[in-house]
Amino acid sequence: MSNNSILVVGGGFAGITAALEAAEVGHEVYIIETNPYLGGRVAQLKHYFPKMCPPSCGLEIQFQRIKKNPKVKVYTMAEVESVSGTPGNFDVKIRQRPRYINEKCTACGDCAKAASTSVKSEFEFGMGKRKAAYITHPFAFPQRYVLDKDACDASELEQIKTACSYDAIDLEDSGKVFDLNVGSVVWATGWKPYDLSNLENLGGGQLANVVSNMQFERLAAPNGPTAGKILRPSDKAEPKRIAFVQCAGSRDQNHLNYCSYICCMASLKHVRYLREQYPDASITVYYIDLRTPGRYEKFKALTVNDPKLSLVKGKVAEIVEDSAKNPVVTVENAVTGIKSDEQFDMVVLATGMQPSVAGQQVPAGAPMDEEGFVVGGDEQGFIAAGCAKQPLDVMKSAQSGTGAAMKAIQTVVGR
Amino acid sequence: MSNNVRVQPDLKFVKELQAVGGESLKKCYQCATCSVVCPLSPADSPYPRKEMVWAQWGLKDRLVNDIDIWLCHNCGTCSDLCPRGAKPGDLLAALRNMAYRQLAPLGFIGKLMSNFGGVLMLALVPAVIYLAIWVAQAAHFGTAFPLFAPGEGHGVWEPVANGKVIYGGLFPGDYFIDPIFGAAFAFMLVCFYLGVQKLLKGLKASPAVYDLTGAEKPGMLAAFIDTIKHEVLQHSQFNDCGEDEEDKKRAFGHKMVMYAFIILMVVTGVVATGHWFGAWFLEHVMGLKDPFSKFIALLGSTPMPLHSVVKVAANVGAVMLIYGLMQLTKRRQGLDPKKQGSNFYDWYLLYVIWAIALTGVGAEIFRLVNIKYLAYPTYFLHLVAVFMLLAYLPWSKLGHLVYRIVALSYAKTIGRIPMGAAK
Repeated sequence: MSNNSILVVGGGFAGITAALEAAEVGHEVYIIETNPYLGGRVAQLKHYFPKMCPPSCGLEIQFQRIKKNPKVKVYTMAEVESVSGTPGNFDVKIRQRPRYINEKCTACGDCAKAASTSVKSEFEFGMGKRKAAYITHPFAFPQRYVLDKDACDASELEQIKTACSYDAIDLEDSGKVFDLNVGSVVWATGWKPYDLSNLENLGGGQLANVVSNMQFERLAAPNGPTAGKILRPSDKAEPKRIAFVQCAGSRDQNHLNYCSYICCMASLKHVRYLREQYPDASITVYYIDLRTPGRYEKFKALTVNDPKLSLVKGKVAEIVEDSAKNPVVTVENAVTGIKSDEQFDMVVLATGMQPSVAGQQVPAGAPMDEEGFVVGGDEQGFIAAGCAKQPLDVMKSAQSGTGAAMKAIQTVVGR
Repeated sequence: MSNNVRVQPDLKFVKELQAVGGESLKKCYQCATCSVVCPLSPADSPYPRKEMVWAQWGLKDRLVNDIDIWLCHNCGTCSDLCPRGAKPGDLLAALRNMAYRQLAPLGFIGKLMSNFGGVLMLALVPAVIYLAIWVAQAAHFGTAFPLFAPGEGHGVWEPVANGKVIYGGLFPGDYFIDPIFGAAFAFMLVCFYLGVQKLLKGLKASPAVYDLTGAEKPGMLAAFIDTIKHEVLQHSQFNDCGEDEEDKKRAFGHKMVMYAFIILMVVTGVVATGHWFGAWFLEHVMGLKDPFSKFIALLGSTPMPLHSVVKVAANVGAVMLIYGLMQLTKRRQGLDPKKQGSNFYDWYLLYVIWAIALTGVGAEIFRLVNIKYLAYPTYFLHLVAVFMLLAYLPWSKLGHLVYRIVALSYAKTIGRIPMGAAK
């Protein structure tokens, strides 16, 4: 007998959208998310396109819809182990990692106060720290802390457990492995920022004041490590000269051989973040082509009307730092034909989106291109959505999620 | 719209460029990574990004008179880091190949040199000449593989049954080696002279926008001496070209080959002087018998004993040549064709020098062990190979020996690159 429930892998914007669209027309939906929270990359932004909303804005509504809909079941810190079966009847094995904090948690934060160990925060891309017991960001959904058990010793674990007044700490939690029977799979595993360590000529992630665009996003976000104040990492000084390096590892056959669609816009958005905080800062954007697709052209027109912003055609191909840790970039202005070394207080690398599953094979034998994007599988009831399929902005990810929901429904209905 | 520049693309030229090694040039999207990562490219109008756009647009005039193609020493860093695989390094190499064909007169020789069949045709010229000489001498001696014993005077050999392999016996230098190679050398010099005239005319005609030094400009002679001293003898540009281990090895291998050639050239010069000045002019024409004249004449007397200083130098040169060739060949074989291509021009030069080195060493060894059936054919091949290198030099990749020195010198006179000491 065919099963009309749907598995959504990935709880980012595309996955949430697909899940809700399907659930709201009556399908049972499971969301599997590897992070402890839903919202994916959007949750890490300060503002997102097209309307410069803070992430809580769009995600809040989605979380409300999830909470109110008994047909949506969410598993965080969980990953798909294997998928077998045929369209209409997939058997999916899920492995969920232990969170060590159960549903009794009220997010009061006493456990974090009791924890003494701090480690670099993955959510902040290493720009800030988190405790061994932590919640990634204030509006995290589910509103529940996580305990990083491996980070601390037995006595600290005991302190953390004692600090909780709700009996929410479960040190015996061992996670679980379970099976789900579903009719179709929506694959919305999204993207990860391209690894800076590959960009050797741009400092390889080793230069103190050279950050990626996603790190910059955290520096600007009110819930980020600097509470939204953009400060350069090495000495927390206010940057006065900032450069953006477009296509850092993008459109490059030695790295990501494609355009990630939104990085030019992200940098223009970052110019606005900077301008809000530093009206006098001088900003340079180095680009190959400034790509502002569709309606974004208007955003660009408004942003570049700025006497202290220069747009320079020329790809930065070398960054070193001077003794004061100021990044020095070398670039040829392809219009004037002058090659020069320029010193900045801070440099932002506009790195692209790499599929989260790059280098792995996705389940069900769905075809992937050489970059790791899923390029088919719809006929097998395995429907890719969002940035797992191609680089997209949030709006198009949502559209893609809706489309995937439709295809998933078509797979399970009419059998 | 009155300021629009109308580009007149020479599409045929673009296709020609693609044919001689610039086939990837259309992939370029002008990001300028290449100009930045090039360790030699100057700050004002750096190369090779501008050459890429000129090539795409078919701006032939700019490219054929572009001095920057001679500043590039082809480490390939630009092509390694090129995000599109457009191989800017290969484009500049292709432009140099094009220059070898077009600077000197008789450009068809360069065309022949770009494929295997053509090279065989070129090889026919010396092969036929020396085969004819060999046949005539064979008729004269009654055998194609005669052996000799020393006769009266320098360079006089008597054919005997139990003698030795003597190349000067079969191919007497005075009649068959020196006049033919002298003529080939003169032919090459004339062609080079005309080629250099054309090169300088083109360079002078192109817009001079590249003054970078701000210092007083040297004259051509001062610049030339400076170039020989720094860029040539010390490889000062080449040493800076490329940053990894392989690039260092390449520069060292090239230096070895160059110094080997200089040593072998000096050896040849000493022998020629000894023979023509000492034996012929002083002893034969002037009739002098003093020890000085005898010493000079002795220097030109071949074959020399192995302990002779001149012979030791020649053998050291041969070893250096083979060592350098091994470095250069290994590197070229190891190139990733996705990053840096090798065309027939590149291989031809390596093959010809290999042929000279191996037949040269082979001829010496076979002579010493006195195996006439191996010695004479090897020597014949050696003559053919040396003729190939020498007579066709202006059209081969080795033409850079002259054109690059001229271009680097000229670049100093216009301030495109600083004098060697000012670097």
